[in-house]
Amino acid sequence: MVNPLTYFFRPKVTEKFEFSDSELEALGSELKTEVNKVFGHSLAIRELDSGSDNSTEIEISNLGAPHYDVERFGISFVASPRHADVLLVTGAVTLNMAEAVLKTYEAMPSPKFVVAVGDDACDGGIYKGSYAVLGGVDKILPVDIKIPGNPPSPKEILRGIFALVKNKENEN
Amino acid sequence: MNSTKNITGSLSPAGLKLRDNCQISVNPAVLETQYATDLMIDISGTKPQIRRGKNGEFYIPLAEEEFLKIVPELSEKGFVLISLFCVQDFEESPCFTLFYIFRLNGSTDVFAFMRYVKTETTSIATLFPSACWYEREIRDGFGIEFTDAFDKRRLFLHEVYPEGFHPLLKSFKNGKIQAVENPEEAYPFKQVGGEGVYQIPVGPVHAGIIEPGHFRFSVIGEPIFNLEIRLFYKHRGIEKLAEGKKTSACVPIAEAISGDETVANTVAFCTAVEKIAGIEVPERANYLRGILLELERIYSHMGDLSGMITDIGFPRMTTPFLILRENIFRQNELLTGSRFMRGAIDLGGVKKEISGEALSKLNLYLKTFVLQFESAIEAVHASSSLIDRFSTTGVLKKKLIAPLNITGPIARAAGATYDVRFDHPYGIYEDITPERAIKTAGDVLSRFEVKAAEVINSTSLIKKLIASIPEGAIISETIEFAISNIPDGYVLSMVEAARGQNLHWIYIRRGVIDRYKVRTASFCNWQAVEHAVLGNIVPDFPLINKSLNLSYAGTDL
Repeated sequence: MVNPLTYFFRPKVTEKFEFSDSELEALGSELKTEVNKVFGHSLAIRELDSGSDNSTEIEISNLGAPHYDVERFGISFVASPRHADVLLVTGAVTLNMAEAVLKTYEAMPSPKFVVAVGDDACDGGIYKGSYAVLGGVDKILPVDIKIPGNPPSPKEILRGIFALVKNKENEN
Repeated sequence: MNSTKNITGSLSPAGLKLRDNCQISVNPAVLETQYATDLMIDISGTKPQIRRGKNGEFYIPLAEEEFLKIVPELSEKGFVLISLFCVQDFEESPCFTLFYIFRLNGSTDVFAFMRYVKTETTSIATLFPSACWYEREIRDGFGIEFTDAFDKRRLFLHEVYPEGFHPLLKSFKNGKIQAVENPEEAYPFKQVGGEGVYQIPVGPVHAGIIEPGHFRFSVIGEPIFNLEIRLFYKHRGIEKLAEGKKTSACVPIAEAISGDETVANTVAFCTAVEKIAGIEVPERANYLRGILLELERIYSHMGDLSGMITDIGFPRMTTPFLILRENIFRQNELLTGSRFMRGAIDLGGVKKEISGEALSKLNLYLKTFVLQFESAIEAVHASSSLIDRFSTTGVLKKKLIAPLNITGPIARAAGATYDVRFDHPYGIYEDITPERAIKTAGDVLSRFEVKAAEVINSTSLIKKLIASIPEGAIISETIEFAISNIPDGYVLSMVEAARGQNLHWIYIRRGVIDRYKVRTASFCNWQAVEHAVLGNIVPDFPLINKSLNLSYAGTDL
């Protein structure tokens, strides 16, 4: 029989992750300062796929992986639009998704901001002229910032979010 | 195992075993099409005209009565329906040509039965259940009614699309259309009644950072009694976009089918064009394509492995997989300039040279990768509570694999052996193949183990390719001439993407693409989820879904 107390007193085991990216750290700490000022210490983001090719989703979810770990900078990805300050929209807004996109936006409390992520979200990208898409996200929602890329890298997405926060600070 | 590798690509296997044990012997000396003719005579007693396609596939035009006679026979003999699509004004034939694409287990051959229809025809979905989605897809795209179909609901055109709109008809020129505002009609989900049965609607917008789709669960208490999925929220009109375009302009479209299958789909598209234009891909380019294809498989599987562990709440064991996956993304970027290897593959070969130095750096990195990966897998195996959640969860029965044409690691975790790299080898796989990983239980644990083994097998294959890669050109020297003088023609090409068998069919007419049909593995594999979840509890759904790893973008097109 194992003494359960040994679980509490034995050393906590974890592995060392030796990795550093000074550029990311600098960007992150600036972002954190701004988020503290403008969004009261926490920026809640809701991601919405309006018809992307899925690579942008992968890059956005990579922001939570150990190399980036953006929660350190006061950013969290939330499960409901009702908890979100920012909507990250990827994809050229398909006709089949348009209603869901509007409903998601309407469910967010104000003030709320929209970021278009990826070339197709910015202006329709490769799908421009297709019967099945509206074009960029700005065809249906007021877009505050556009992050181009096919897809943009996690760092580029983070820079875009920083630009949004910075803009909001300047507006205040 | 009775799979036979068709090494020369021109001759058929010497003995072909059918399900009912009748043996068809083939004399290698007879003409290529003779074998298929014999097969047809054996099946239907008729002797149709047979043409051999440029990628070795057989095209068999059939009169309506011949077609109706042959379908039950094909079902009886264990043929698998791998695709069904429609082409308008194909060659000389007016109206519509339906291509029913079949393969036979243990054979490298693919048969395309052609059926000529006007605006109405009959369904084969009672004999081949996987035909159901294809027929609905054709109805939406071309307006052809399958009069006796058991499911006539719309597929990729949701209620916002007006009645009578069929985007793939040649009479429709691509462009903005007037969507229906506030459509009144709701999609008729299957109703499951009875005491204590209630529905849980989920989506299209989900709680995580994932793609949109709708799941309608009917549950009794916790266990799932029925699941119906509704997809195509991401329908972007990819097939129509390709129409009328030059082949070179379509490479980025192939890349955009599904982000994490960029290389696989681009290789399939380029292979098809190369076959039509008669372009020989230089050997070095084939090696480089192989390396990139396997890197894509590695990062894709790594996402699934970490996702499965995340979905049962073990962050400590997830992180090593996430770290290794990010490292692979960074290797991709070093090799090709893009984390998703966008723009790396081109018609006739690869776009940019990858230096020997870069390859040996990759080789060196893979050594560390394998060690760290194995230690991460060991940690998973050491956790009894994790194994308990994985084992016996979400079982996919082997008997569903052929009727639904389920392919890829999820089929190989349920006892199937099929893998395009072995069964219809293309590019470098004609010479070098990876080890196979096969499990039989068909549960989440088997899928985890097959994917983990495939990661290791892919790294070994990459190492082998790096060790033997020849010097030389990376793109065919005559590519520009060949592309600008591309003859009319059509071809079927297949690749084994990380998720399974992706199929591309291209029809070139007057130098441009007349029809581009894409069918990714996910289109078929999505139907596996409806079966695998039955009897499981709702909280296990995310885990089962992740273990099947289905692409919405690749299905919705």
